[in-house]
Amino acid sequence: MLEIIFIGLSVGSILLLVALGLAITYGAMGVINMAHGEMVMLGAYTTVMAGIWLHLGFLASIPLAFVVTALVGLAIERVVVRRLYGRLLDTLLATWGIAILLQQAVRLEFGLSFFGKHIRGLGPGLQNVTVPPALTGAIMVGGEDVNVYRLFIIGVTAALTALTWFIMYRTDIGIQVRAIMRNPRMAAACGVNVQRINALTFAYGSGLAGIAGVMMSGFKTVFPDMGTSMVVDGFLVVVVGGVGSLLGAVFSAGLLGQVDGSVASLTNDVLARAVVFGLVILIIVIRPTGLFSFKGR
Amino acid sequence: MTAALTIDGIGVAFAGFKAVDGVSLVIEEGELRVLLGANGAGKTTLMDLVSGRTRATEGHVFLYDREITNRDEHQIARAGLGRKFQIPSVFKELSVRANLEVASCRNPHVFANLRFGFSRAQRRRVDEVLALIDLGDTADQPAANLSHGQTQWLELGMLIVQDPKVLLLDEPTAGMTQAETHKTAEIIKSLRGQHSIIVVEHDMAFVREIAERITVLHLGRVLAEGDLASIETNEDVRRAYLGAAAGHG
Amino acid sequence: MTIQRRLDYLCYAIFIVAILLVPLLLGDFWINRMSKFLVYGMLGVAVSLCWGYAGILNLGQGLFFGAGAYMLAMSLKLLSNTSMQQGSDTPVPDFMLWNAQPGAPTELCCINHGSWLWLPFQSQWFGILMGILLPVTLALILGLIVFRKRIAGVFVSIITLALVLLVRLVLIDAQPLTNGFNGLTDLGTLTILGYQFDAYGLGTYYLIAVSLALVLIGARMLVETRAGLILQAIRDDQNRVRYLGFDVPVYQLFFFTVSAGIAGYAGMLYVVAAEFASPTFMDLAYSITMVVWAAVGGRASLLGACIGAILINIVAATVSETQSFMEAWKAVIGLVFVLVVLYLPRGLAGLASDIGERIEARAAARAATGSQAAAMVAASRRAP
Repeated sequence: MLEIIFIGLSVGSILLLVALGLAITYGAMGVINMAHGEMVMLGAYTTVMAGIWLHLGFLASIPLAFVVTALVGLAIERVVVRRLYGRLLDTLLATWGIAILLQQAVRLEFGLSFFGKHIRGLGPGLQNVTVPPALTGAIMVGGEDVNVYRLFIIGVTAALTALTWFIMYRTDIGIQVRAIMRNPRMAAACGVNVQRINALTFAYGSGLAGIAGVMMSGFKTVFPDMGTSMVVDGFLVVVVGGVGSLLGAVFSAGLLGQVDGSVASLTNDVLARAVVFGLVILIIVIRPTGLFSFKGR
Repeated sequence: MTAALTIDGIGVAFAGFKAVDGVSLVIEEGELRVLLGANGAGKTTLMDLVSGRTRATEGHVFLYDREITNRDEHQIARAGLGRKFQIPSVFKELSVRANLEVASCRNPHVFANLRFGFSRAQRRRVDEVLALIDLGDTADQPAANLSHGQTQWLELGMLIVQDPKVLLLDEPTAGMTQAETHKTAEIIKSLRGQHSIIVVEHDMAFVREIAERITVLHLGRVLAEGDLASIETNEDVRRAYLGAAAGHG
Repeated sequence: MTIQRRLDYLCYAIFIVAILLVPLLLGDFWINRMSKFLVYGMLGVAVSLCWGYAGILNLGQGLFFGAGAYMLAMSLKLLSNTSMQQGSDTPVPDFMLWNAQPGAPTELCCINHGSWLWLPFQSQWFGILMGILLPVTLALILGLIVFRKRIAGVFVSIITLALVLLVRLVLIDAQPLTNGFNGLTDLGTLTILGYQFDAYGLGTYYLIAVSLALVLIGARMLVETRAGLILQAIRDDQNRVRYLGFDVPVYQLFFFTVSAGIAGYAGMLYVVAAEFASPTFMDLAYSITMVVWAAVGGRASLLGACIGAILINIVAATVSETQSFMEAWKAVIGLVFVLVVLYLPRGLAGLASDIGERIEARAAARAATGSQAAAMVAASRRAP
């Protein structure tokens, strides 16, 4: 029983890790960023590349991945997303295009593979990352074997959630973000530099996805399409939790993680995912605004 | 005289707060009634209750003999009650004429509307209304191109095409210039007698131009009812509404 | 009738004549390819009807496409030689025998749990009927719930997206019944009134081309009706339509279901031309790709979305002769898509109609003298 709960917690923390960035970009900016999964992918590749080319360790890759993906996010916001505010479905489609572009950029090694040049670490193949020995293996907790790396992910997720909460609710930038969330025009009228804050928010959300990518690279193989399914999961978490609600995202990630974990232990992974999708549809139908929602604009 | 719209003790509470609290009103056939009240008096909520947007927790609404309490919006509309919104809503991507044509479909069922074009009678009606709201020249332009005032008239026109028994007009002159306001008053006055009308309005100049009978709402209840002169001299109303309005100014 | 509308109808006529004449120029291989692309064109029509006209962005159109495809494929599978060589009197899909428990009966009724579901598909007409009925029924149930609850915009997109992924997983998980990831292959040939529709033959091409022409004309007629006008009104402002006395969900449901029916029909035709059905039809990418085609062609134009789908696929097939070019093409599609959303929100059809208008205005300007007269003519053109 304890083991199942722990697996659920671990699945939930991975969901939350991906969803955290989305909760911010979607919640605060009303942007459905379909390229969010590709930010995770880029974070994972940053870890791979940093290991190969810079001989950086796994842990040192975390800040690097954050910076890299935040910069890519910033560029996407500046070039594309900025022109599409208020056109929710259009941003969804445009960022889908960006997602494909990013995948292909990695797969084709930025086009160099055409000229017979190859960059180690990129390309269509699978990549792996070595995790420091301290994070592998299992320890005994309450009479059960607990995977250390899963514990590590839960810890990182908790830390990032706390950091995000702190930024959103205890800093000047956070209060501006929340003002934009409720009413962007009014916020602008009150002197909030909406463009700048939006760009920062988007960059931060993307950076979080980058860190999620580092975490993923530690226990999954890394490949160009790895982000596609994650963005879907991330959105389901955000929508179920209630758009713009950090608490909602935490709660729904926990819920969906537990459901996924327990169904998977009873049947198989495929059915578990199916059950999660079913549950999500049910929740959206019953409460379209999500479990935790406020009346925003 | 027959009552066109009878509101009997209607009320609704939002999280314990009674936005409308047992309001009763009778609108005679062909009457033009103005609803006054300060912000938060419950005017728009009352409109919502009558038109089906909000479900009433108490009371009844009758359209002539027919009870329409808590029916779906489209059922109430089909029963003969048309509503104009405070923020004008029209179909921006359709032409002005198409806007009116949509309203002119008599039969609301989807299969009944699987046919092309409109009958001669319908087209004549649309032309008449186009003339009435003075949008004949722009009939083939998308409604998105209209000015704010014209948009308000178009929405009014959509209601008129439907020939409803009772019209609810929520601030029909909001955001209008003086000339536009005057013209709106003309349109509304031309409807008097054929339709029973309730107008919610803040603009006292406009109210003076059109009003016969006035009902004043305050804190979700009916505060006073009477003709313009009696309302303007009513002490309660002065305190509750005009006093508040003076405070605004 | 306005000139604009006449030009519009002319485009439909040209397109239909073109797809009927195209086989004269092509060899067998390209005829088969074009057959598939015309099916994609039909999907473009379905997406445009749902998204452009009804304002419902269905990210799960692949569900209806896949449902149609699987229904017909099940029938065709039982007609296949591979189902006949198993020593049983009645056909049994080969994969069921491969996956069968040792000692299990080899009859279709009871080879595994649920294999009896295949029994009625021994009749090809049952498969054809279900190919329409299943997507339509699914759309009715889904639409009834979603539209009655007044769920709109992105939430509809997310529900449809989650649903198609859900069905895809169930399909894969039910491996003994559906052959899982591998899908249904080695299908028999669709035979109607003794005529065999060979995937590479002209018969199949014309079956699809005529179907597309009819669907296109039918969909266009549908949006020209009063109901179509009301639907567009709903897209612009639901609430206003509701307060004019229309039962909005019924209209949305009707067009959503028609769109699903078209997608299901397209799925069946695809099986005839491609000779397989697979869970990839229900991939997220597949459904979004359909939306991409429609967006590039022009979401608010049935013909535009149709041509967009066909064009993109023709170009893709031409450039992607080698694997690496195919990957590069995907990147180009991604880029094109971003650019279309940013700079051509009305797609190629919007661009064409803008160019048409400009040419018309210029012709009018040449006919009249002085710029003021030209403006007047341009204005009078708008009058009926």
